[in-house]
Amino acid sequence: MAREDPLLSADGESLTVLHELAQVLELGVLIVDRSLVVTSCNRWLAAALPDAMPDLVGRSLLDVFPELRGSAAEHALLGALAGSTTVWAHRFHRYLLPLPPRPSGSEGRFERMQQSAHVMPLVRGGVIEGAVVIVQDVTERVAREEQLREALGRAEVASQAKSDFLASMSHELRTPLSAIIGYMDLLESDMVGPVAPLQKQYLGRVKSAAKHLIHIIEEILTFSRVEAGKEPLALEAIDVAAVAQSVVELFEPQATSKGLALIATLPTAPVMVFTDPTKLRQILINVVGNAMKFTDAGSVKIAVTHDADMVSFVIADTGPGMTEHDVERIFDPFTQLDQSLTRAKGGTGLGLPVSRKLAHLLGGDLVVDSVPGEGTTFTLSLPKVTDAERVLHPAQSTQALA
Amino acid sequence: MTTNRVDQDALTELFNIGLHKAAAALSELTGQRIIVDLPRLWVCPIEETHLRLRELIEGELATVHQVFMGSVSGDAVLVLEYENASRLAALLTDGDVAVDGRLDQSAREVLAEVGNVILSSCLSAFGDMLQVAVSFSVPRIHVESLEGLLRSLKVQKDELHYTLLAATRFRLTEGEVGGYLMIAVGLSSLDLISKALAEQDR
Repeated sequence: MAREDPLLSADGESLTVLHELAQVLELGVLIVDRSLVVTSCNRWLAAALPDAMPDLVGRSLLDVFPELRGSAAEHALLGALAGSTTVWAHRFHRYLLPLPPRPSGSEGRFERMQQSAHVMPLVRGGVIEGAVVIVQDVTERVAREEQLREALGRAEVASQAKSDFLASMSHELRTPLSAIIGYMDLLESDMVGPVAPLQKQYLGRVKSAAKHLIHIIEEILTFSRVEAGKEPLALEAIDVAAVAQSVVELFEPQATSKGLALIATLPTAPVMVFTDPTKLRQILINVVGNAMKFTDAGSVKIAVTHDADMVSFVIADTGPGMTEHDVERIFDPFTQLDQSLTRAKGGTGLGLPVSRKLAHLLGGDLVVDSVPGEGTTFTLSLPKVTDAERVLHPAQSTQALA
Repeated sequence: MTTNRVDQDALTELFNIGLHKAAAALSELTGQRIIVDLPRLWVCPIEETHLRLRELIEGELATVHQVFMGSVSGDAVLVLEYENASRLAALLTDGDVAVDGRLDQSAREVLAEVGNVILSSCLSAFGDMLQVAVSFSVPRIHVESLEGLLRSLKVQKDELHYTLLAATRFRLTEGEVGGYLMIAVGLSSLDLISKALAEQDR
């Protein structure tokens, strides 16, 4: 069943409508006959031509723009007379009609109008009578896209440089600190001579400070690795309830000394999940450690629940809580909500951003819910998967689980 | 059944001729060697196209859609998964467009031109074989779902419609991208094509 495109197969009436429409468009519309003589040129295109140029109508397009002879543009026009439609993407051709250069930008440069274009046949009564050329001025858009590309390139380079700097600085700092701790151990052990009790006490404090510094450096190192997409995963089938139990045990002495109730509600049967135990432990230590740090009275509760698809770790404290504004910023790197707390409580402000990034790396998420004056609840959810493929492709795994 | 009457080998050959021409044009346009091949071809009623495509592609699509007219008429669509579309645009332009995997306006223009070259080359191969002129509407690029694509086909209800669905692969210096070419025609157009193919074989 033959069909004709009503726009391109113009009868006299619709051609008039097309002409009228062309006059108000912010596009150049040019119509040529089979000899490439211009039969119509809309106002927009006429305005883009130099004042000295006589009216285009009635003149051969190849005489008006001799550069078109033998060019791809002439080929497109002849193609249209044979029934083809040509699309002219700016990226490949720059412009179709060589309109005279005009001032560009503030530096006194002159530039041709950059164009994307369409060239198509004009069909009347089943006969190709000529060609329609539509050009769009894309000069500004192309310049904007170019600026955007350059800015993006610069940002990527800067981000990579920052990650590289953090990684190498962290490494450089960790190496001498490891030596400091090693020599402290040696001195403390009396192997190189007797050490007085007070000296031992001071050595212990130096060692503890050095270990704290190493912990901070590890956090920076992990953050920069995760951000650079270079954090490796070591996946295995593990009982995640047992990991939670070991983290609870780690914090029991601290809870006792602070007078906090540390309450764990864990499943009695193993909950087997294919994940990275070190990363999971790191997240839980960060989140529980955070709760312990900011809670001065009351309790820190840790609960593990699971269904067929997900396993959730809920850590709820009775600390000071956060406002909605604070909750939005808590996962931003290098942010501590109250700078006075930084000095009082210590830390890099990287623990929670790193934890969330690690949660994403494991195919899960870390979210927070908080009420000022009542406390904060963090929920770590991980897909309850049993094979590596779905952990490594979380988007697909979510679909597969849905 | 009409689909059984279509000689699949001859049809594949016809598509290959069109794609070969398209690849030559694209190589000239981009200045890099491009091969477009056709690993598979299906001919099925339009109702089954939906099921077939659902098996083959997922997620958001970028499509270049052209209506063609003449003795044979129908819809010709280049169908790419969104990610593949942005990858193809980036490969064709040495990463100048589709920065960050996004189909910006320049990337869409590039795909429209590429789609136009491929679709018109293939349809011209059909036109040459049938010795009829085929004219095309301006190609339109859409980002849409599979359902949106199927809704947009200008299928006329007065006759049965079939789809010639070709899996295509664009092979460039820096990588490969898979896509699909879909030509939806009415039974009368398909009959003309299959008769011409049969005569060509004689």
